[in-house]
Amino acid sequence: MIATLFSTGQLNAPLGFTTALAVGFCFGLCLEKAGLGSSKRIAGVFYLTDMTVVKVMFSALVTAALGLVAAERMGLLSLDALYQMPTVLGAHALGGAIFGLGLAMAGWCPGTAAVGLGSGRLDALVFLAGLVLGSIGFGEAFPWVAPLASMGAQGVVFLNQSLGATQDQVVLGLVGSAVAMFWACEVIERGPALARPGVGKLFLAGFSAILCIAALVALNMPRADIPAGQAGIAAQASQASQAPGATGLAGQAGRTGPAGGGQAGGSQESPGAAFEARLLADVEAGRDHMEPGELARRLMAHDPSVTLVDIRSPAEFDSFHLPSAVNIPVSRLPEALAGKRGQGIIVLYSNGMTHPAQARDALARLGFGNAYMLTGGLHDFFEDVLKPASLQGDPFTPAKAAQIQEARRFFLPPGLSSPSAPGLLTPPGPLPGLADAAWLAESLGKPGLKIIDLRPQPQYNSGHIPGSLSLNLESLRGNLGGVPSMLLPGPMLAEHMGQMGVSPRDLVVLIQGGPPQDATLAAVALERLGHLRYLVLSGGMKAWAAANLPTDTALPKVIPLRYPAPQAAAVAGAAATPNPSGTAGAPDSFTVSGPEVLAAMTGGKTLIIDVRPAGYFSGAQSEEARAGHIPGAVNRPFTEDQAKGPGDSVILKPVAELAKAYAAVIPSKDHPVIVQCRTGHQASQTWWILTRLLGYTNVKYYDAGWTEWAAHPEWPVVASPPAAKEEKKP
Amino acid sequence: MSDTHTQDSPQEAAQSAQAAQSVRPAQVGPGAPPMNPYLAGMFLGLTLLASYLILGAGLGASGGFARLGAWLEHALLPAHVEASPYFGPWFPAPLSYYLVFMVLGVFAGGLLSALAGGRMRFIVERGPTASRTRRLILTLIGGLLAGFASRLAQGCTSGQGLSGGALLLTGSFVFLGCVFASGYLTAWAFGRQWK
Repeated sequence: MIATLFSTGQLNAPLGFTTALAVGFCFGLCLEKAGLGSSKRIAGVFYLTDMTVVKVMFSALVTAALGLVAAERMGLLSLDALYQMPTVLGAHALGGAIFGLGLAMAGWCPGTAAVGLGSGRLDALVFLAGLVLGSIGFGEAFPWVAPLASMGAQGVVFLNQSLGATQDQVVLGLVGSAVAMFWACEVIERGPALARPGVGKLFLAGFSAILCIAALVALNMPRADIPAGQAGIAAQASQASQAPGATGLAGQAGRTGPAGGGQAGGSQESPGAAFEARLLADVEAGRDHMEPGELARRLMAHDPSVTLVDIRSPAEFDSFHLPSAVNIPVSRLPEALAGKRGQGIIVLYSNGMTHPAQARDALARLGFGNAYMLTGGLHDFFEDVLKPASLQGDPFTPAKAAQIQEARRFFLPPGLSSPSAPGLLTPPGPLPGLADAAWLAESLGKPGLKIIDLRPQPQYNSGHIPGSLSLNLESLRGNLGGVPSMLLPGPMLAEHMGQMGVSPRDLVVLIQGGPPQDATLAAVALERLGHLRYLVLSGGMKAWAAANLPTDTALPKVIPLRYPAPQAAAVAGAAATPNPSGTAGAPDSFTVSGPEVLAAMTGGKTLIIDVRPAGYFSGAQSEEARAGHIPGAVNRPFTEDQAKGPGDSVILKPVAELAKAYAAVIPSKDHPVIVQCRTGHQASQTWWILTRLLGYTNVKYYDAGWTEWAAHPEWPVVASPPAAKEEKKP
Repeated sequence: MSDTHTQDSPQEAAQSAQAAQSVRPAQVGPGAPPMNPYLAGMFLGLTLLASYLILGAGLGASGGFARLGAWLEHALLPAHVEASPYFGPWFPAPLSYYLVFMVLGVFAGGLLSALAGGRMRFIVERGPTASRTRRLILTLIGGLLAGFASRLAQGCTSGQGLSGGALLLTGSFVFLGCVFASGYLTAWAFGRQWK
């Protein structure tokens, strides 16, 4: 099976460009040799003085058709590997009629005019100028002519299907008609308009016979079993076919990959990889999305180029869908949208983003370069476009309010479009920060608030803040490359958030059952995602209980969505060294690895703060491979930052007190600091206090901590006082 | 064949001085006659077949010029074009498209073949007694129509008619039928330019 550049996604990549250039060269050579670099000869077809156009065109058409039929029947070629234009009867008929008029007026068509220009014909240049302007005219008129362009759309239809005949009959009929046409051309051609090569009757008879024989041979080609990856470029592409779903088609439609521009690069990668890379680049750059506002604008303007597809269940579709949407199950998308490949814009939506994202990528692989998904799904569409102005967090203008009201009238069923009026969700102060129980009680139930309860499940089940989501703190950590209790990589954390229905624009409130470091560890996880809209409930669940605020036992209703994974590339250069857990690159901009801590220690400029209790720091106590601390580190136990709060709760000391204490330890706000404990749990509290409450700007977090350091005998350790160790020996 | 062409003006002759070397023999006598059209057609068919087997797409020309149009319009009105429902999706790199390169190849192939066959003529091709202005105006309008129509029909004679026809696509035969029907019905009105 031949893997064409179209099927491997390389059509619009350097390899495709080079090949197209070569093919075009042969194309031009053939046209010119046939004498079609002359408008007078081309126009001659309409005055019956020179039928060269018909002879060349149909000889070529029949030759290629026979070759394609033979290749397909031999099993060399799958039609799926070819770009096939969908039939749009009205557009093809009208376009053909207008094109015929233009051809008769000019004596040129686009291909021959390019050859004509190469032959010095100035009229070809004028024709091409018109051609370019006419194309621009179409682009400008598209909003009005789009209905014409899709008039009578049938999808990809073959002649045999339309005629209700077999492919054999169509091929034989085509060859027969062509031969008859050739003989007719030789008879009717008259007038000495241009020099014509003499074609003898004997030659024509021979040519006719060859075509007929070739047709019979092509139609009876035996199927050859050619294993994938044998023929020519197929060898390269076999990798592509191994990657799941990568055998699909390239972005044939409007879009071109970033590999464009004729620059080198990409041509040496395997085709599948190149396509996947382009797909990923599109995803990264957000070229696979359409924002809710943009979609709303197009729908409200009745933009005919938009095909809106709802991929939810029919029941959900029936209860509500966006106007003009069609309901297509994911499995039927390629078939149902065949006629829309490369035509206009296809927008997929569901409640969230996971299914549309998967469907969009599959469609992109199938050659739908024009498929997009609605950013954030219906969820975000409601948030961004339809949320009453009174509920929008940002300040809004009367014009914006009117716009929202208009959108609600357009998209919502009557009765729903009048604004309800719960209060605004306003954070108690700068984000991230601390919240108190009273603020949270007032904000319960407001849109955009997500409460995450970090207590163990039995406690959650027996009573929690209404609407809160349960998340076991330990589910944010795992073994990374052998080091236990490491905060999970961003994409996994993002998956957690998405499954809980937390979107990047939600205001998250973290509720700890115990001391503050439980909440700050979850906070560091959110920071890894770049999610800064969060608050820590001061005193946690105990403070809530102490204030006699309500709890319930109901589980919240959650619509899972796709929480975008953070981009690991957006990390400072120094962090790009592989960390000891073996994963390349840093997980975020503030976590440092063991070797980085070692380098910082050796450099001597960085202040390393060990936040473990004093006994562990000195080495008197140890639960690790080695006792002691990193040479040069200072000890500031995390408990010194804590105080007693309402009820039995543990809260952080007042900011002023903390600021004073750390000013005595850290020379300046931008001094390089690394915080560290045993597993990263306690250090998360110090990191959070320094960066989020006190405004230190250069604080790094050594997640692996003493667990890793102690297990590396080559990394130095100081145990003090040594006497303490002596005592333990006997 | 050169007897039907007219060297239009001395200025043009001067302009074509660069190509004069190769044109010289052709001006003395006719250039090499064109190839047998059936054989040329067969070679063109093999080119098309190769295009399908290697590129996975057929021949085409109008798509390349439409890209050029989008690029030119973008140079003048960037925001407008990027927001355009038809041209917009082609950006940011409208010219990174295989047909743009194919058109360059067609031009190069035509140029080389015309030079080799001594058929290079810097002329406005028209009938011996026809008006040059009239010919150019008709050509320009024809170009405008062809540009619009080839976008409407998703291709021109090569992209839609020939390439789609070789795949036995229904739409391509509808297109070809309408092209020739319309051409034969209207060509009588434009015959003067060739006389």
